[in-house]
Amino acid sequence: MEKILTPSSPEIEEQGVSTTPHTENNPGRSRRDFISAAGAVGLTLAVPGSVWAQAAAKNTLKVGFISPRTGALASFGETDPHVLSLARKALASGLTVGGKQYAVQIIDRDSQSDPSRAAQLAKSLINEDKVDMMLAISTPEVVNPVSDACEAAGVPCMSSVMPWEAWYFGRGAKPGAPSPFKWSFHFSFGVGNFARTYISQWALIQTNRKVGVLYPNDADGNAIRANLAPLLAKAGFTIVDPGPYETGTTDYSAQIAKFKAEKCEIFNTFPIPPDFATFWRQAAQQGYTKMVKIAQIAKTGLFPSTVEALGGLGFNLASGAYWHKDYPYKSSLTGLSGGQLANSYEVAAGKQWTQQLGATMALLDAGFAALKASGDAKNKAAVAKAMSTLKASTMVGTIDFAKGPVGNVATAPIIGTQWVKAKPGSKHKFDYVVTDNADDKNVPVSAKLIPYS
Amino acid sequence: MSWINILIPGILLGGYYALLASGLSFLFGVMRIINLAHGSLAVLAAYAIWIMADRHEINPFIGVLILLPFMAMLGWALHRLIFERSLKGGALIPILSTFGLAMLIDNLLFQNFGADTRSLAPYVDSLAYDSWELPGNVYVGQLSVIVFVTALLVLGGLHLLLAHTHLGRRIRAAAQDSDAAQLVGIDARRTYAIASAIALMLVALAGLSLALRTTFDPYAGPLQLIFAFEAVVIGGAGSLWGTLLGGVILGVAQSVGAHVHPQGFLIAGHLVFLIILIARLYVLDRLAVGLRRLRGGSQ
Repeated sequence: MEKILTPSSPEIEEQGVSTTPHTENNPGRSRRDFISAAGAVGLTLAVPGSVWAQAAAKNTLKVGFISPRTGALASFGETDPHVLSLARKALASGLTVGGKQYAVQIIDRDSQSDPSRAAQLAKSLINEDKVDMMLAISTPEVVNPVSDACEAAGVPCMSSVMPWEAWYFGRGAKPGAPSPFKWSFHFSFGVGNFARTYISQWALIQTNRKVGVLYPNDADGNAIRANLAPLLAKAGFTIVDPGPYETGTTDYSAQIAKFKAEKCEIFNTFPIPPDFATFWRQAAQQGYTKMVKIAQIAKTGLFPSTVEALGGLGFNLASGAYWHKDYPYKSSLTGLSGGQLANSYEVAAGKQWTQQLGATMALLDAGFAALKASGDAKNKAAVAKAMSTLKASTMVGTIDFAKGPVGNVATAPIIGTQWVKAKPGSKHKFDYVVTDNADDKNVPVSAKLIPYS
Repeated sequence: MSWINILIPGILLGGYYALLASGLSFLFGVMRIINLAHGSLAVLAAYAIWIMADRHEINPFIGVLILLPFMAMLGWALHRLIFERSLKGGALIPILSTFGLAMLIDNLLFQNFGADTRSLAPYVDSLAYDSWELPGNVYVGQLSVIVFVTALLVLGGLHLLLAHTHLGRRIRAAAQDSDAAQLVGIDARRTYAIASAIALMLVALAGLSLALRTTFDPYAGPLQLIFAFEAVVIGGAGSLWGTLLGGVILGVAQSVGAHVHPQGFLIAGHLVFLIILIARLYVLDRLAVGLRRLRGGSQ
């Protein structure tokens, strides 16, 4: 049944058109006629659906799901349709909560990588679709506005895949004070996870422990500069920071000269992918890459395509992953293992698996675990309460909100990884291997970290 | 830090901006159209070259030659379908319609190619990061030099075309006053269509250099537009050598800015852009008129 009401179905779109107020003075008679006609058609199509929906509302759980599927962040959302189809299959026979059987409808929406669009979608899911729970994933541009909308409207919201510090403090929580949030919950990696993995991973190769860092002047870059760099310095690394640069910079000669002069054998950066490609090629031109033993990149190099775009310069880049197909955990919602999830995507899409598959699955695992734990899935307060103490097994491991670093937050690990040249005969150009498991000892290490050059 | 190390990357960067901007500048010079789809069209060209390289193993430098006639046809079609019609609606309509075209291209690319980040650099071996070492520990990227020389050749070639050929005279006549040009027997419509075709061929070169230098994805177009636009405005809208000069001024300003402070890169570029924009309003206007008279109006 859920297919009838999928978000992209035309009747809903047309309903939206027909209710848009027309403020133009002179839109032209024919166009107005056309719009109202289209709206009328849309309404007649939509009415049976909504009547059905009202009758079934008591027995149907509606879950909103917002992720970036188009626009600059589209690579995060690319695998979501596949994961959602797996989840829908698993939920086809419904969900039993507190002895009661519910049909489940997941309404997925595309934020178009635009924060204001994400907020608008969240509001319409809350007010028009009357969702019982909201899920939001990938980057502050999606997660924060959706969390804020849910907080304001009193709808339980679970989110993932953005540094929890930027979610918690970025939305006005104060260090040391109790959590100001009632309805929004977030599990993801934080600066502490990066620090643990980097310190452990960088000890795997003999270096002069001098780290050249290239952090941009944006929310992530400044948070990393303020919080991660001091932890690395405390662990005995010398940080060489030429200062924040603006995203979109096309020449990095000044920074490269500094890294070369200081002989930084470790390099760490949090840029957007095009900036890194420009920087790394210039670094190669200037002879800096030959000096680098560990090139630890974050935010870029998450997905195979961004590394493939670097060509030969992509081999042996070190990275941190928020999920890997070698994770030993199973999805509680679908019962799939990491390997099964990755394979199902490779078969269905004909492309290499990405770490986002597991992260999206984990969010669905945690969300539906909270609905089950609530005892009354239609009671929003009960669901939010269940989230606040939720301990759930997910695709990325056990998520424990009772333990969280702060209220409303649970952490998920970052593991050390590396992009290496695929073995001969492989379908793909790169293999993504686990090189360090300091942040989650259950994840098996599959390869030794190779020096970059 | 020696001045050579600041100036050389800045000047080479300027060549890259000039190549990015040449199509934009040419179209504006001839038809007074600010083509907001310029960046998206460049990304479209990059994808076309990428397909040839990835699926058919055609070297991107040969790929771009194959692409040029198709881009010319696209330019012709765009003129007939969009530029010509929108120009009749006044100055604002071409901006709106090319903006719409940009969104259309971006989303069509996304539909077809998905969100993956691409680059042409893997298909030219190590050219994208090879360099020559000059005395004094100065490294010069080979690709940057190639791009700079290409920009010089392209702008020089266009200049010769405009100044010394029959077609060039027709284009200049139509650019200055299309009604008067019609009176003396020039088919302005056809001339404009040819100019659009040339502009789109320039866009193909912009797409190639962009895709070799950095990465692109379906939504990378608008980001590329800003530096091209600044180079055009700094150099004087519509003037070809001005575009090169504008690109170099922008590149050197950014390079100097970055050496003062890492955040100075973009700020210095934008600052120079604004200073020149304002200065032009008050001072340079008179100067430019004088210069144009001297040059004999090479636009």
